[in-house]
Amino acid sequence: MTKRSLACLLIPVLLLAGCNLLPDAGVKPREASEQSIWAMDTQMDLRLYGDEEGNLMQSLIAILNSLDRELSATAPDSKLTALNESGWTDDTQIVFLTTRALAISEQTGGALDITMLPVSRRWGFTTGSYGVPYSGELEALRDNVGMDKITLTEKTVSIPDGTKLDFGALAKGYAADLCRAELEQAGKSGVLSLGGNLQTVGTKPDGSAWMIGVQDPDDPGRYALTLRLNGSKAIVTSGDYQRYFIQDNIRYCHILDPKTLSPVRGNLRAVTVVTDEGLRADALSTALFVLGREAGTELWRSQRDFEVIWMEEDGTIWLTPGLKDLASGNDFEVIEP
Amino acid sequence: MILGAVFLLLAALTMLQYRNAAPSASAAVYADGILVQTVDLSVDATYRIESVEGWNVLTVQDGKLAVTAASCPDGDCIRCGAKNSDPPIVCLPNRVSVQFSEDGGVDAVVR
Repeated sequence: MTKRSLACLLIPVLLLAGCNLLPDAGVKPREASEQSIWAMDTQMDLRLYGDEEGNLMQSLIAILNSLDRELSATAPDSKLTALNESGWTDDTQIVFLTTRALAISEQTGGALDITMLPVSRRWGFTTGSYGVPYSGELEALRDNVGMDKITLTEKTVSIPDGTKLDFGALAKGYAADLCRAELEQAGKSGVLSLGGNLQTVGTKPDGSAWMIGVQDPDDPGRYALTLRLNGSKAIVTSGDYQRYFIQDNIRYCHILDPKTLSPVRGNLRAVTVVTDEGLRADALSTALFVLGREAGTELWRSQRDFEVIWMEEDGTIWLTPGLKDLASGNDFEVIEP
Repeated sequence: MILGAVFLLLAALTMLQYRNAAPSASAAVYADGILVQTVDLSVDATYRIESVEGWNVLTVQDGKLAVTAASCPDGDCIRCGAKNSDPPIVCLPNRVSVQFSEDGGVDAVVR
């Protein structure tokens, strides 16, 4: 078979296969490299473009494993456990995360609270032995809970005996920020899925937007929406369907309301936040889930440096105006600016 | 011939991957990675898209979009023909892409 007849065979086949597969004379799409790891209690899928040597991938894995070791609230030898046992630390990462958590907690009227570990443990979310606490048990825990228990100086964090910190609501977002900085410094692009915390970095090699599917809370095989996002963005969802248990026909989700010390009970299935910083997206998605849509809308109106998707029990989807032209795949309502 | 068979298999697999791609009512046009135009596929019209590297003319007719002229050297985008579902039309030399997807072609899923 001559080269020409082979080309005649191949071109229609490639056209069938999808035009984006056509080989191009000028710009060759860079290869994507993918790797999945388990860290911070979740599966992480990393996809990088243009990391031919694999060095960048190794750097990211080292960052994630290091955070996994240092910020775990359950590992016996982590720096966070050391703080929770001794009541004092000058670890720069813990000081940074605590500073940010206090600020976001204040902005959200206390909807973010990193002192809920004993409460979460009592409900069984950290141990897997789920159960509704007896009356009085939660009130007894209240003495050790609350952001006002934390004493922060410029370089130290201290907490009283019995109070425990847990960075579960911001650590993965922080991890995404560190990975993003590493990729940007190397001038590479990629998409990082850190257990549902998504981080896009840079521009896809073909110049097109990142296509992000937002999972339908009722059907993991479907998307409630698809978002087209450009550049580096953090996209984080908090939902009642990720970790929960059912007792007496009531669903108890893992996101706890600091006011009631109980799982959030409202009409939200999920909240997704899109913003530039992973840590902020992570913490805000939890806080907005706690607040509910109406209070969350007020919070958005007072800040406006993030975008939100609210998914309600009856299937209604609400978006902040900035996402209106980027979302498709379902009907949605847009909140009043 | 073996090469041909491999490509046929590749084509079949790719077709399978996109078999559920539903016709889209709109398309999003990106130039240099920036959303520059949202196209309603129910309205027959012509659009000229300018990127840093060149230009593409998009024609919408009977619910489908085609690149009908382009400054790129290879014309691969024109050979994609008239489409209303993914995979996207990509003009790599001009860094222009047309995405139809409403539920496919996703880079990542947030759960």
